[in-house]
Amino acid sequence: MRILVCFKVTPDFEALREADWVAGAAHGVETRYVRRIFNCFDESALEMALRLSDTLAGRGVTVGLGALSVGGGEAEPYLKTLYALGYERAARVHSEVNLDFAPAVIASIIAGYVRRVDHSDLVVLGCRSGPGDSGTVPFLVAEKLGWPCLTQVIEVEPLTDDRVRVAWMVDDGLLRVTLRLPCVLAVGNAVVSHLRVPTLTDRLARRNKRIDVFRAADLGVDITGELRRGTCVLAGLEEIHRARQGVIIAGETPREKARDLFDSHLKSMIEKL
Amino acid sequence: MHLSREIIVEGLQRIARPENVITDERVLRESSIDRFRKYEDIHGVYTQPLPAAVVMARSVQQVAEVLGFANEHGINVVPRTGHSATEGGLETAVADSIVLDGSGMNQILAIDTYTMQATCQCGVPLQVLEDRLREQGFTTGHSPQSKPLAQMGGLVATRSIGQFSTLYGGIEDMVVGLEAVFPDGTVTRIKNVPRRAAGPDIRHVVIGNEGALCYITEVTVKLFPYLPQNNTFLGYTLDSMKVGFEVLREVMVSGYRPSVARLYDPTDAAFHFSHFAEDQCVLIFVAEGPAGIAKATAEGIEAIVAGHQECRRVDSTLIATWFADLNWGPEKVAEEREEIKQTNNIGFTTEVSGGWGCINDIYENALRRIVDEIPDITMAGGHSSHSYINGTNMYFVYYYNVVDCKPEEEITKYHTPINKIICEETLRFGGSIVHHHGMGKARAPWVKDEYQSSYYILETLKRAFDPNGIMNKGTIFPK
Repeated sequence: MRILVCFKVTPDFEALREADWVAGAAHGVETRYVRRIFNCFDESALEMALRLSDTLAGRGVTVGLGALSVGGGEAEPYLKTLYALGYERAARVHSEVNLDFAPAVIASIIAGYVRRVDHSDLVVLGCRSGPGDSGTVPFLVAEKLGWPCLTQVIEVEPLTDDRVRVAWMVDDGLLRVTLRLPCVLAVGNAVVSHLRVPTLTDRLARRNKRIDVFRAADLGVDITGELRRGTCVLAGLEEIHRARQGVIIAGETPREKARDLFDSHLKSMIEKL
Repeated sequence: MHLSREIIVEGLQRIARPENVITDERVLRESSIDRFRKYEDIHGVYTQPLPAAVVMARSVQQVAEVLGFANEHGINVVPRTGHSATEGGLETAVADSIVLDGSGMNQILAIDTYTMQATCQCGVPLQVLEDRLREQGFTTGHSPQSKPLAQMGGLVATRSIGQFSTLYGGIEDMVVGLEAVFPDGTVTRIKNVPRRAAGPDIRHVVIGNEGALCYITEVTVKLFPYLPQNNTFLGYTLDSMKVGFEVLREVMVSGYRPSVARLYDPTDAAFHFSHFAEDQCVLIFVAEGPAGIAKATAEGIEAIVAGHQECRRVDSTLIATWFADLNWGPEKVAEEREEIKQTNNIGFTTEVSGGWGCINDIYENALRRIVDEIPDITMAGGHSSHSYINGTNMYFVYYYNVVDCKPEEEITKYHTPINKIICEETLRFGGSIVHHHGMGKARAPWVKDEYQSSYYILETLKRAFDPNGIMNKGTIFPK
């Protein structure tokens, strides 16, 4: 089994000051001033692949793990971390153009990398990532590769070298299916969402491993042309207000507070039922 | 004769009313520890003796009666308010202890903006007091990362310090007077005055006692004008900690008082500032106060840093944005729990202090030993965040993967050996092993090395005020 996990390094939106949640004219919310982190869904995907690899290694099956990111040099420290965790291949496709809102271009790059360079038979990636947050990249990658795609994946376990059992969320519950590779898996709210942490010893041992850097053109992708042909243009951003009201219940004792909660708030709601 | 748990609970119910005496086993388990044993807590393993009850004190009188009851019967009492301690100070080292919780005593009693002081009960969350003051244009100047969790009694009991300490000082510089209850039930009040020279300053018997001498029920702290519009943020990247310490020293010795003066080593900086400082140290200053002072402070600091060519200025917005997300509230604690549970990777800090002549030696030697001697380390770094005319602190930050050991073995396999290294190296170079978290139980084993001949004074205080040894056994004074 040869696995490729695609990830994006994104701004830590939770670290943004409230006042900075203002849509700028060109590129949306200004995020230059906050630290970068793994996109949370991609982080789940990266850990999921490591666990797949661990399980198969326990059965004596070798798994080739690879990681790919598209963008500037900000991904390099994260690729080094993945090397330290046992990923065998780490690459990035350099782009000086902002591709946050160009999911089709990203998908072309990933598909090109799989076909021309990596030859993996399982592609795992987060179901979406900010700031673009289109949620379409996994589907577009699958379409370009001609592979099946499952989304909202929360767990994967290996069955054989070329089959996996996948748990994925649907509207009415959880489905478990067996898939023959190749396929694309888009990870949603996974059971395990945090990536393990490498020791300093592991980092030191693998610090000199080379990160492969490609240009989109190396993978047969013409970014400028694809962007020109693109039909999706960012028109504007608008904040959704989700403020909720709260009431602090006064009272000397828990009994008094419970009584007030029932009399003033719950009783009328129950009566309406 | 020791009282049974049932008798203790009955006695407490008589004093504090049954609804204020909690005996639910889950509460007792969680009340047997603090954040020092967060790994055990996350795994639902509790190794400390269970307390008999948690008493939610509602008045000074109740505190006095509970302490009197405990003193009469030799029952260990663990005082607490916000339950945000990190050094084991809230662990119940003795079975059937009483956890005396003052978080219900949460009234702000007075805000006097003419005399510039505020008086509040021990259970007032600092965040609540600070928010109330800022609405009126004032601040306590106290802003520890634990501000959303910590309460005034605990902050004073642990000699806490905030992020703006270089201008406003530690809590010991802010407290003008207080009320405390001693084990025999004596209620004492130290009046609120600007200064005193009528003998020793007895505030300092109480401030930092960590519940090992008395129970703090009320504190009065200074107020300052709140002028965030004048805040000026300065940030620099640089190559070496040694140069960074030199810059901090020059700023302090030149007489400038930025509210924030911080120096991060490359490892710690990578954690916070990877978006602008790869493999570099980071220096941060915040100048605040009246416009003229803030401006002069910022200009003075800029001139000093300009004398060090390796320091490169970064966009101030990077620093202002980072600072806005620094505090730890309940949501970050919950997030951390989940992350630890999934990864078995856990992080702690140990903060020490040292003079300018030795702080870099403490930093370099302790870190080298941690990396060399402790297994499974994933991150070891640190920063200085509180500076003085004669030295600064070092806040060691370290993470490790818990490997091949039970939850209850994590502390002995990793945390205590790391603390040991840091304490040994700090003492070797003449620093102090605790800068602002308190000794708790975690660093109590080194108390005699810390105090040396002055331990006589500390020990005498304990004998005088707590002759029956009922106050927070194992904290400050090893069991």
